[in-house]
Amino acid sequence: MKLLSEVTKGIIKENPIFVIVLGMCPTLAVSTSVDNALGMGAAATFVLICSNMIISLIKGIVPSSIRIPIYIVVIAAFVSIVDMSMAAFLPDLHKALGLFIPLIVVNCIILGRAEAYASKNNVINSMADGLGMGLGFTLSLVIVATIREILGSGTWLKMQVMPSSYEPMLVAILAPGAFITLGFLMALMNMMKEKK
Amino acid sequence: MMYYIKLGGILLIICVIATGILAYVNSVTEPKIIALKAAEAVKSREALIPGADFEEVKVSDDFSYFIAYKKGSKELLGYTFTAGKTGYSSKVLTMAGLDPQFNIINIKVIDQAETPGLGANCTAPSFSDQFKGKTQEQMLVDKDGGPIKSLSGATITTRAIANSLMEQIQVLKKDVDSHLRGNDTEIGNDVTLAKDKQEVGQ
Amino acid sequence: MGYIGEIFVMAMTALFIQNFVLSRFLGLCPYLGVSKKIDSAFGMGMAVIFVMTLTSSITYLINRYLLANFMYLQTIAFILTIAALVQFVEMVIQKNAPALYKSLGVYLPLITTNCAVLGVAIINTKAFRSDGVTAYNFLDSTLNGFFTGLGFTVVLLAMAGIRQRLELVELPKSMKGMPIALILAGIMALAFYGFMGFKI
Repeated sequence: MKLLSEVTKGIIKENPIFVIVLGMCPTLAVSTSVDNALGMGAAATFVLICSNMIISLIKGIVPSSIRIPIYIVVIAAFVSIVDMSMAAFLPDLHKALGLFIPLIVVNCIILGRAEAYASKNNVINSMADGLGMGLGFTLSLVIVATIREILGSGTWLKMQVMPSSYEPMLVAILAPGAFITLGFLMALMNMMKEKK
Repeated sequence: MMYYIKLGGILLIICVIATGILAYVNSVTEPKIIALKAAEAVKSREALIPGADFEEVKVSDDFSYFIAYKKGSKELLGYTFTAGKTGYSSKVLTMAGLDPQFNIINIKVIDQAETPGLGANCTAPSFSDQFKGKTQEQMLVDKDGGPIKSLSGATITTRAIANSLMEQIQVLKKDVDSHLRGNDTEIGNDVTLAKDKQEVGQ
Repeated sequence: MGYIGEIFVMAMTALFIQNFVLSRFLGLCPYLGVSKKIDSAFGMGMAVIFVMTLTSSITYLINRYLLANFMYLQTIAFILTIAALVQFVEMVIQKNAPALYKSLGVYLPLITTNCAVLGVAIINTKAFRSDGVTAYNFLDSTLNGFFTGLGFTVVLLAMAGIRQRLELVELPKSMKGMPIALILAGIMALAFYGFMGFKI
C-alpha cells in the first residue's frame, strides 16, 4: 500500500536525524531521559502532521515568493498551540522540555518537509509523510535517550535498570556525552549502510 | 505595486487567522495554567506548615508572604514565602516555612532548571534537610563562611538559594515588625500567644 | 557591580561558561554544516553576529511594548521578525558582497531556522543580571545577542580549523564527515565544561 510506505520511509530509509541529519538541536538537548524524548517526539510529530496537512491544503493559493514566511506562520501557530496545551495539561513535561518547545518552530525537519513534500503532494500523503518523519524522529530520539539515560542515570523511563552499585556516568547526560553518543551512533549507521 | 500588496495581503490574512486560533486556544488554556500554579503553591505551603490556614500579606509588587494560623484558631504557626535568585542556568525559586521566631522549619525548591546531576540535586531532601531549624544569619554557604554545605560541583546553585532566603527573611521580618509596631493588634496578640505556648514547653 | 562588570560577566557567559553551541545545544545545524572551511565559517559567523544583535534589539522592543497581554503570540512574532531580518541581510549581502553571498549559498536563508537566533531572543526575555533580580533591558539584550553571536563564531571557527586539518588524516570510512564532527564537538564541549562554575 502506497500510503503505508509513505509512513515507513520516514522511520528508517529517510530517517530525519541519522540520514538527512536535520533536527540536531533538540536531539542533543532533550535526549537526557527517555520520557523527555518521547514527549518531544510526540509534540514534534503532532506539529509535523498538522502543518503538513495545512500546508498541503493551501499549496494552491500560496504565492511562491512568500511561501517560506507563510509556512513559518503555520508551523509557529501549531507550535504555540502545543506549548499552551502542554503548559495546561502536562506541566511537568512542559517544564522539562522548556526552551525547546518553542524551538520546534525552527526544527529544520518540519520546515524541510513542508518545503520538500507537503507543498507538492496531496493532503493525505502529506499527513502520512508527517507521521512517518515524526515517528522516525521520535525513534532516533528514544535510541539516543536510552543510551544516555542508562549510562548517565542508571534508569530507563525512570525505572532503575542498572544494579544499585552502578556509579552513573554523569557526562552522558551532560553536553559532551550528547555529542559523543550521537557521533558514535552515526558512525554505526554509516557502517551498517556500507555493509548493505 | 499591486503584486506586492497582494502578497502582503495574503500573508496578513494568514497571520490574522493564526492569531485568532491562538487567541482561542489561549483563552481555554490560560485559566487552567493559572489554576494549576495556584494549586501547586497551596500544596507546597501545606507541606511546609501542615494543618494551617494561610493569609496573604502583600509587601510589594514582587513580594508577598503568607501568615500561617492553626486551622480554626488564631494561633500563629509561622510564615511561608517564596524567594528567588538566579543560580547557574536558571532562576531558582525556593519556598520556605518559618516559625514565629523566623527560624526555618523547612524549605522546598519549587522551580529550577539547573544542571542535572549537579545543581538540580537541590530538590533532594538530603540537601534541603540541612536548612531545618537554621536562622536567617546562618543562610550562608560554607565558602562564604556559613554552615550551609554546598552541593558538590554546584556552589553557585547553593549560594543562590541561601542568599535569596537570607534576603527575603529580612524583608519578611521587617514587615512583620512594622505591623507589630503599627499596632496591628491581631498579629501582635498571636505572636504573644505562640511565644507563651513556647515558654510553657508546648 | 558596575555596568562594565555586568558586560564582562555577560560576555564571559556567552563565550565560555554557557556557550550556545557547546552547552546549550543551540545553533547546531550550521555548526555542523558550515564548519568545514575557515572562510565560509568566518562569513557565516559574521552574518550570524549581525542577525543576532539586530534580532535581540527588535525582539526586546516587540516583547516589551507589543506582547504585554499577548504572550502566546511570542513565538510567531519572534520568528517572523527573524525571517524578515534574514531576508533583509540577504539582500544587503547580495548587493554589497556578491562573492560572500555565493560562498554562503543556501546557508544564509538557513539562519532563519538557526535555533540559536530564536533561542537568544527567547532567552533574553527570561534572563536576569548577576544580582539575580533585574531583568535585561534593551542594552543588555542587544549586547547579549552580540556576545552570543561572538561565542557561536568562536566555536565555529575553532571547529573549522580542526576539520580543515582533519581532511588530511586517515579516518575509518564510517567516521568520516558527521560522526567525527560530532565527536570533536563532544571533546570541545568537555573542554568548555572546565569553564563551568566560574564566579566572576
